[in-house]
Amino acid sequence: MLRTAGLTKEFGGLTAVDDVDFELEDGELCSLIGPNGAGKTTFFDLLTGVLTPTRGTIEIRADEGWRDVTDATPYEAANLGLHRSYQITNVFPTSTVLENVRIAAQAASADGAKLWRNAGAFDAHIEEARAILDRVGLADEAEATADSLSHGAKRQLEVAIALAGDPDVLLLDEPNAGVSSESVDRIIELIEDVATDHAVLLVEHNMDIVMNVSDRIVVLNQGAVIADGPPEDVRGDPAVQEAYLGGYEAGSLRREAESETAGTDPEEGTA
Amino acid sequence: MIAVFAAYPGLYSVLVNSPVGAEMETVLPQVETMVAVLYFGLFAMSFDFISGYTGYLSFGHAAFYGTGAYFVVLAANGKIPLLGPDTSFVALLVIGGLIAVGLAVLIGAVSFRLTGVYFAMITLGFSQVLYVLVRDWGYLASNPRDGPAVLGRTEPFSIGVPGVDSLDLAIGQLAGESVEGLLGVLEFTATEVSYYMIGLVVLASYFAMQRIIHSPFGKVLIAIRENEERAEAIGYNTFWYKLGAFAVSAFFAAVAGGLLAGFRRSVSPDGTFYFLVTGDALLASIIGGFGTLAGPLYGWLFDEGVTEFLSKRGEGGGLLPYLRDNLGEGLLSTEVFDGLTVGEAINTFLNGHAELYIGVLFVLFVLFVPSGLLGTVRDRVGGPVGEAIASRLRGER
Repeated sequence: MLRTAGLTKEFGGLTAVDDVDFELEDGELCSLIGPNGAGKTTFFDLLTGVLTPTRGTIEIRADEGWRDVTDATPYEAANLGLHRSYQITNVFPTSTVLENVRIAAQAASADGAKLWRNAGAFDAHIEEARAILDRVGLADEAEATADSLSHGAKRQLEVAIALAGDPDVLLLDEPNAGVSSESVDRIIELIEDVATDHAVLLVEHNMDIVMNVSDRIVVLNQGAVIADGPPEDVRGDPAVQEAYLGGYEAGSLRREAESETAGTDPEEGTA
Repeated sequence: MIAVFAAYPGLYSVLVNSPVGAEMETVLPQVETMVAVLYFGLFAMSFDFISGYTGYLSFGHAAFYGTGAYFVVLAANGKIPLLGPDTSFVALLVIGGLIAVGLAVLIGAVSFRLTGVYFAMITLGFSQVLYVLVRDWGYLASNPRDGPAVLGRTEPFSIGVPGVDSLDLAIGQLAGESVEGLLGVLEFTATEVSYYMIGLVVLASYFAMQRIIHSPFGKVLIAIRENEERAEAIGYNTFWYKLGAFAVSAFFAAVAGGLLAGFRRSVSPDGTFYFLVTGDALLASIIGGFGTLAGPLYGWLFDEGVTEFLSKRGEGGGLLPYLRDNLGEGLLSTEVFDGLTVGEAINTFLNGHAELYIGVLFVLFVLFVPSGLLGTVRDRVGGPVGEAIASRLRGER
C-alpha cells in the first residue's frame, strides 16, 4: 500500500529520519517503535506531507502501480488515502463530536465546495459520521462539543476523524497516549477493529499493546531502522533490547501498572 | 427581529408623537440613523463573514467597501468606461461587487500565505495603499481628498423591479421618493422609503451569506477557524476555501459601500477606504458577537444608538438637549462644586464626547461580554434566537 525508499530528513546537522526503506502491505498492522526522539513522529510527518524529505521517495499504491507522493501537501496526501491521527489531540474543539467526524467525511467527497445547499441536506456524510461514531464507541456523545470529552474519549475521536476520511492507509500516532489503564482495553479493541479493513501503521509505547496486536514491528533508533520483523523476532533481537526494550517481557508493564496504580506519569514515553 | 426592523419607522413616528415623545426621541435612533445602521451593518456582517468564520482578521476590509462606494459614484459621473451614467443602481451594486471580488482574489492570493497578525497587517497595508491612491488621484474627483459627489446623473438611484414605476423606488437623503396613499392608508417619507429599500438589499445579502455559512463550504470555514492544521490533514485545500470566503465577503462589503454611495450621493476617502472604517466594523463585530453573522448589525445599532443618545442637538435628539429642556432653570444654575453649575457640568461631560463613552463601553464588552450581544443571547437560549423561541412556543422545551 505504501513504501518509502532511502527516506531521509535532516534538520540542520541532525538527521531525524535516516535512510529508511519501509513497505506496508495491504491489510497489515505494522507497529513503529523506538525510544523518544527516534524519529517516529517525523516519519509520520514526512508520509503525510507536513514535512518535505531531504532525500528519498514515498510512494502509495494507486489503482495499478505506484504513485509518487514525495512532494504531496497534507491535503493531497489525505486525498490519496493517507490519513493520520495525532499524538497530541488535534480536533475541532468547539464543534460537536458529530460535526468533527462529519466534516472529515465531507472532505472525502467532492461536496466541500458546494456553497448553496444546507450541509444538513447531505445525508451521506451524516450517516457515515454516525456509523463511525458507533464503531469507535462515541455514539452517545455525538451532540457534545469535542472540548467537553474526557481525555480517553478525545483519543477515540482522534481515530474517528482519521477513519472518516475513508483512508487506505491509517497512520495512528500513539492513540493510547495518556489514556488511563482502565481505558486501554477499549483502545486496543479499536485498533484491532480498524485493522480489519485498513492497512495500519501504529506508533505505540505500550509494549503489551504492540506485541499483542502487531503483524510486524519496525524499530527505529536515531532515525534508522534497526529491526524489522514479526513480534517474536523483534522481542528477541539483542540490538532492540539494548536500544529500547531494556529487559521487557510479555505482560510486565501491566503487572507494574497494577502494582503501582498511582504515581505514574501518564505522558511518560511520549516522543 | 425582521418584523421589528420592518415596523420601526412606523413605531418611531407613533412613539415620538405620543405623550412620552420627548423621552422616546431621546432614546430611540431616528430613521435616518437607522438607514446608516443598515448599510454599515451589512459591511460589518461581511467583515464577520471572513473574520468571524475563518478566524482571519481582514483588517483591510474597508478597501472593498470603498471600491463599491466609489464605483457607484464614478459610474454615475460617467467616469467608468463602457457604463453610461444612467446604468441601473442594482446593476451597479452587482458590478461593483464583482470588481471587489477580483480585488479580493488579488489581495488574498498574496495575503493568505500569512496567518494571524501578519495576515491582518498585510491586508491593512493593501487597503492603506488604496486609500492613499484614492485620496490623491485627480481623475476621481476635482478635490480627491474630499472625494467625489454624484454630478452627472439625472436618474435617481432606485432599487426594485426595473420598469415598474411603483415597485422601483428611489433612495437618497434628498433625491429619494416618498410614497403616499399606498393601500389607501400608508404614507412613507423619502427617508422611510430609503430605509425599506436599503433594508431589502441588506436582508437579501444577509440571507445569502447565512445560506453560505450553513453549506458544506461554510462548515469548512468553521473547521479552518477551529483547527486549520487538521482541516488540511483531512483533505481540504484550505487556501482555496479561504480565498473563496474572502471573495464572498468582499462582494457584500462592496454592496454595502454601494448602498452608502446611493443614499448619500457622495463619498470621501476617509469615510470608505480609511482603516478606521474597518475599525468600526471590528467594533460592531465585537459588541454584536464574532461569528454570529447578524450580530455585527446589532453591534452597530447599539453603537449608533449610544452615539446619538450622547450627541448634541440636531442629530435626532439626545441626552444633552433633553436634560437642558427638562431640568429647569433653577436646577441648571445650581452650583455643584467650586463655581461649576449643573448646566455647565452637563455640557462638559456630555457635549460631543460620545466616542469617549463608546470607548469605555468597548472595553467593558471585551472584558465582560466576550461573545457579544447576540453571542451571549444565543448561549443563553441555546441556539439561534428565532429557532429557540419557536421551539419554546411549541412547548418543546
